[in-house]
Amino acid sequence: MGTTTPWRATPGRAWVGALLVAGLGHALVTHAAADDKDRIAALEQKLDQSLQLIQQLSARVHDLEAQVAQAPPAAAKPTSPGAAAPAPAAAQPGTPASQPAGVTPPDTAQRLARVEQAVTEIAASGGQRAEDLGMPMHGFADVGVGNHNAEFRQYQGADIAELDFFLTPRLGSRTRALFELNFEVGSDGSVGVDLERAQIGYQFSDSATVWLGRFHTPYGYYNTAFHHGQQIATSLRRPRFIEFEDHGGIMPAHTVGAWLTGSQRLGDEKLTYDVYIGNSQSIKNGILDMNNAGNTQGSTIVGGNLGLLMSGALDGLKVGVDVFQTRILDEDAMLTPAPATRVRSYGVYAAYDTDSWEDIAEFHVFDNEDLTGQTGTHRSEAGFLQMGYRAGRFTPYGRYERGAFQQSDHFFAAQINGSSYYRTALGLRFDVDLVSSLKLELADTHLTDRVTGSYDEALLQYAIRF
Amino acid sequence: MFTSSAKLLLAALLCAGCAVAGAADLSVICNSRVPLTAADVRDLFLGEKQFAGAVKLVPVDNSSAQSVFLDKVLKMNAAKYSTTWTKKSFRDGINPPLVTGSDAEALAYVKRTPGACSYVTIATPADVVVVARL
Repeated sequence: MGTTTPWRATPGRAWVGALLVAGLGHALVTHAAADDKDRIAALEQKLDQSLQLIQQLSARVHDLEAQVAQAPPAAAKPTSPGAAAPAPAAAQPGTPASQPAGVTPPDTAQRLARVEQAVTEIAASGGQRAEDLGMPMHGFADVGVGNHNAEFRQYQGADIAELDFFLTPRLGSRTRALFELNFEVGSDGSVGVDLERAQIGYQFSDSATVWLGRFHTPYGYYNTAFHHGQQIATSLRRPRFIEFEDHGGIMPAHTVGAWLTGSQRLGDEKLTYDVYIGNSQSIKNGILDMNNAGNTQGSTIVGGNLGLLMSGALDGLKVGVDVFQTRILDEDAMLTPAPATRVRSYGVYAAYDTDSWEDIAEFHVFDNEDLTGQTGTHRSEAGFLQMGYRAGRFTPYGRYERGAFQQSDHFFAAQINGSSYYRTALGLRFDVDLVSSLKLELADTHLTDRVTGSYDEALLQYAIRF
Repeated sequence: MFTSSAKLLLAALLCAGCAVAGAADLSVICNSRVPLTAADVRDLFLGEKQFAGAVKLVPVDNSSAQSVFLDKVLKMNAAKYSTTWTKKSFRDGINPPLVTGSDAEALAYVKRTPGACSYVTIATPADVVVVARL
């Protein structure tokens, strides 16, 4: 069964149209005026603090001069170096001291030195030690309402989405660990728990960190830039084809294995790299399973990602390429041997992230081979373009995404969400404050094979981080 | 030598100088054992550079001078800075910089902590390394 919509006839137009809109959007949007209120408030606070400090210092100068004036002129009496006055208080009346007019007596100088030392110690005791052992824990949560559930369109109304705990225990200067425990509502409406990430790593240098465990597969840009906490993402949800596996994504968002990552300066630019190997995935109950406990065939996923962070006039732009290969077993097929597909994905991406713009584009080509020898090789494609403009607390965004998946390719045919589609979405994010956001998204989705049809969505999300 | 009025005026001028130093004189300082260059400062405070040779770097924000630092060095606003570190932390498991409340606090922390770097608007003693002056 092939795609019913002639991909060759419309995708060029669709992508050209999307890129034209992108270009016009950049050209037409006027530069939003910077919000100066916060800066003015900060400057006013600083001025108040400085005026307070001036008053305190001038009072102190007055006190010191009063002490000098009170002490009567007399012959010098040597002060032993170790002698200590009881407290930095006014000098005792009649205490003999030797000072010419206008010179600070030694006991006053000693008191001043002690006061300075005390102030320094008080200041030094503030702040935490960077390497104190502990386990910082943060989290994310989001709830939503809409005419459809954002992830499972068969539902409508309100949903509790997820509660995501994120732990980064402090283990030393080079040992790192990261755990992400997610309580989320599944496709059956029940709340389940997923150990979404469990990685323990060692940082050899800025150029090389190795992680072992379960991590987000480093393909493209979006999958490692955004995780399970929706508050940090501009959009209300991920592009459909790179959703997490249990939310219908058709790419392996998670890998259990080993991951080497790092970056290296190249002049003003920075090169980033990722190389990984892990358990190959399989299809169970129509979705990808990352085989947390290993797989029974010993097959692996291997891949890499190479990126370049630009500088100068292109500061904020990252471009890159990625590739991975894996062997996917369809465990739902109830056949012996189970059908297997060698999945090869080639990707290219670009992301432009500044104070004002957040634009992301990814394009993936799948060159898959049916390892049963029955259907040969298949080529499929998927991609998205998202643009967002930060205007103070408001960030309007738009996204176009498309997946054209050959249904003769068993890898896509076996997955519940492996059907071809395209979606246009317009959204608005409002930052209630630094840690909470409201998002509204209107989307129009068209399914173009299997069951053709379309549906519109009006979705609202309230997302927080803590 | 100095009259009381002159002392008062000097103190006021020094404090006024401190008040405007946030907009004009910002020094990025590091512990004396840190071999850091001016070009590394941005990477350090964005979590992209964590080692200088064998020394583990400890970036420390100074809330009293942060707005100037963000504007002059990182060229981003506070919201973007916060989000950048949240994403960095979420992606790489790196915790954001500690925050001190004043120049004196930042200076004291840098002096006593190997690998520490921060930024201040006051005069710096000889036992800290000034990486950059803006």
